[in-house]
Amino acid sequence: AMAGVVRRLLRRGLGVAAGPSSTRQLREAEEAAPVFQYAGKAARRKDRVFVWGFSYSGALGVPSFVRPDAGWKKPRRIQPTPYRLETEEKISSAACGYGFTLLASKTRDITKVWGMGLNKDSQLGFQRSRRDQTKGYEYVLEPSPIPLPLEKPQQTRVLQVSCGRAHSLVLTDSEGVFTMGNNSYGQCGRKVVEDEVYSGSHLIHQLKEFDSRVVQVVCGQDHSLFRTKKGTVYACGWGADGQTGLGHNNITSVPTKLHGDIAGVNIIQVSSYGDCCLAVSDEGDVFGWGNSEYLQLASVTETTQVNVPRHLPFKIGKIKEAACGGTGNVVLTEEGNVFVWGYGILGKGPNLIETAVPEMIPPSLFGWSDFSPDIRVAHVRCGLSHFAALTNRGELFVWGKNLRGCLGTGRMEDQYFPWRVTVPGEVVDVACGVDHMVSMVRSFT
Amino acid sequence: LNAAPGRASRQRVRFLPAPAPGGGGAVELGGARVPVLADHPLVRGPRFRKLKIGAGHRLDVKASGVFVLGIGRGNKLLTDLYNCHLTRVYTVGGLFGKATDDFSDTGNLVEKTTFDHITREKLERILAVIQGTNQKALLMYSNIDMKTQEAYELAVKGLIRPMGKSPPIITAVRCLQFALPEFQLEIHCLHETQQYLRKVVHEIGLELKSSAVCTQVRRTRDGVFTVDDALPRTQWNLQSIQEAIQNCQLKVETELEKTLG
Repeated sequence: AMAGVVRRLLRRGLGVAAGPSSTRQLREAEEAAPVFQYAGKAARRKDRVFVWGFSYSGALGVPSFVRPDAGWKKPRRIQPTPYRLETEEKISSAACGYGFTLLASKTRDITKVWGMGLNKDSQLGFQRSRRDQTKGYEYVLEPSPIPLPLEKPQQTRVLQVSCGRAHSLVLTDSEGVFTMGNNSYGQCGRKVVEDEVYSGSHLIHQLKEFDSRVVQVVCGQDHSLFRTKKGTVYACGWGADGQTGLGHNNITSVPTKLHGDIAGVNIIQVSSYGDCCLAVSDEGDVFGWGNSEYLQLASVTETTQVNVPRHLPFKIGKIKEAACGGTGNVVLTEEGNVFVWGYGILGKGPNLIETAVPEMIPPSLFGWSDFSPDIRVAHVRCGLSHFAALTNRGELFVWGKNLRGCLGTGRMEDQYFPWRVTVPGEVVDVACGVDHMVSMVRSFT
Repeated sequence: LNAAPGRASRQRVRFLPAPAPGGGGAVELGGARVPVLADHPLVRGPRFRKLKIGAGHRLDVKASGVFVLGIGRGNKLLTDLYNCHLTRVYTVGGLFGKATDDFSDTGNLVEKTTFDHITREKLERILAVIQGTNQKALLMYSNIDMKTQEAYELAVKGLIRPMGKSPPIITAVRCLQFALPEFQLEIHCLHETQQYLRKVVHEIGLELKSSAVCTQVRRTRDGVFTVDDALPRTQWNLQSIQEAIQNCQLKVETELEKTLG
């Protein structure tokens, strides 16, 4: 009886036979299928910030790494690969100091600069503690706004930030340079006050007296360098290694103009992170001063402290950009070649530990090959004991000592030659610190 | 092959009775060279009854291109070539807007998407990233200690390659043609399968916030053998095969010398 019922149903056409449909049916089914749209024609690429490295100081800006938000989660001491940091605005400039980070945006809103990490010397300004309204936070775990005493807060834009060991500099377009943090060596550009307590201090100093507008600020370990539009360089801070370049080894608490070999030269870039400084002129020459214990300036002098800027006569071509680390230096030439010298893991294998003369890193290590011959290194950056290079395709290469996972390769071993960091996006800029790094990335689509 | 003139048959000396130069019925033994009856073609039969033919790297049904075969003693060379771990080059054609279950255009449709936001620039950026991550995989799977000077030197020359088993690695990608919705890529890879290449096309589509299927996979180079050395269907005869083997012999020997030492 059941078979009879089924047969009748089939004959009436109510049971459709399942079998291979004809090509025409398939084509019609395809054309009738709905079309999904994931990205419209006007979809813009998004700007993101990625951080990695040592997180217990709060410098990465992710509070759940230090204080997990669930009981079963463990605190993450080191973030070995790039981790996305959510920011409210598009970050245009970032700087990593010794255990803290500053992020700045070109916005016209009142909040232009955020800081996170160590704040024991108020290098992130005064961060009012929620538990005790009179005291400030010593560790800031999340990007927190830094209140700058601007005269026109809704017109001035922040161009650049820079961080040193315990002080930071903020460069604005019309209101000069703001400095905060430790001033025991005058690195903030104001007079040294004996027994000053820096922790929980509200003081942010403003510097305006330069011969022309300041276009770049650079922090060394305990000194500050200012480059003006006219191409002159000013310095203040600790000078025991000659890093202020003013001809003496004393402290300077007011920004003073540098002379020496750079007098009259139009400097287009300055760089420093430890106690050695480099400056690049518009004609492609490089000048150095400061610490030379690690052969950084040994090509011109045998002394270990150089307190006047000296021209470094390298025959490697016109130099476009320079970066100084703690013990090693790196320059980028107009042709896109990278030269390293100094001491430490320089990037040419474990056998090259120190050299006084710049050595070129072969471009094939940055992805250059017969198949892709137009890959060039566009920027070079230096941390305290590691280096970073950005190519014109937006790839980031790092090498050097992997202190607490600062390289971002995912491994904890030191890297003796340039190694790619996998970032989900095109890397636009990177800032290197002692044990952490921050990168500004644009997404692909 | 069997029609070609074969080996000359063996000869042996036999003492055959021959009539004596004198007359009468006396029989004398005279030595003469005669062919051995066992070597006679009718006794021996055809020289080649079976041929040992081995295949090189796999090429599946939906793909086309260079396919390397080894004959007889060439099979041993095939194993050596496999151990050289040389790269292969494919021309892969893709189509934006569709996603199917087996990543090719003949599969069942899964989804249709828009693709008018895709530009050549975006595609090249994605390809650069694919190349970058695969470059890293190349260095990692080669099992060389990164801290040694020789690792640095090999990396400079670009000679670091996994010399053992490894997942598929793409060493270079390039966009040859781009005309929405179609595009064509040239992919250099190691240890791959054609289905993996189709999956890569699908993933490129996903990365570009759309979808893509693979329409064509054509192998243009397999190690040292290129399309110019390969024989098309019309030339599958003995003469061309023999010429082709002779032309490639030198190339194969130099490559094996260089890699395996």
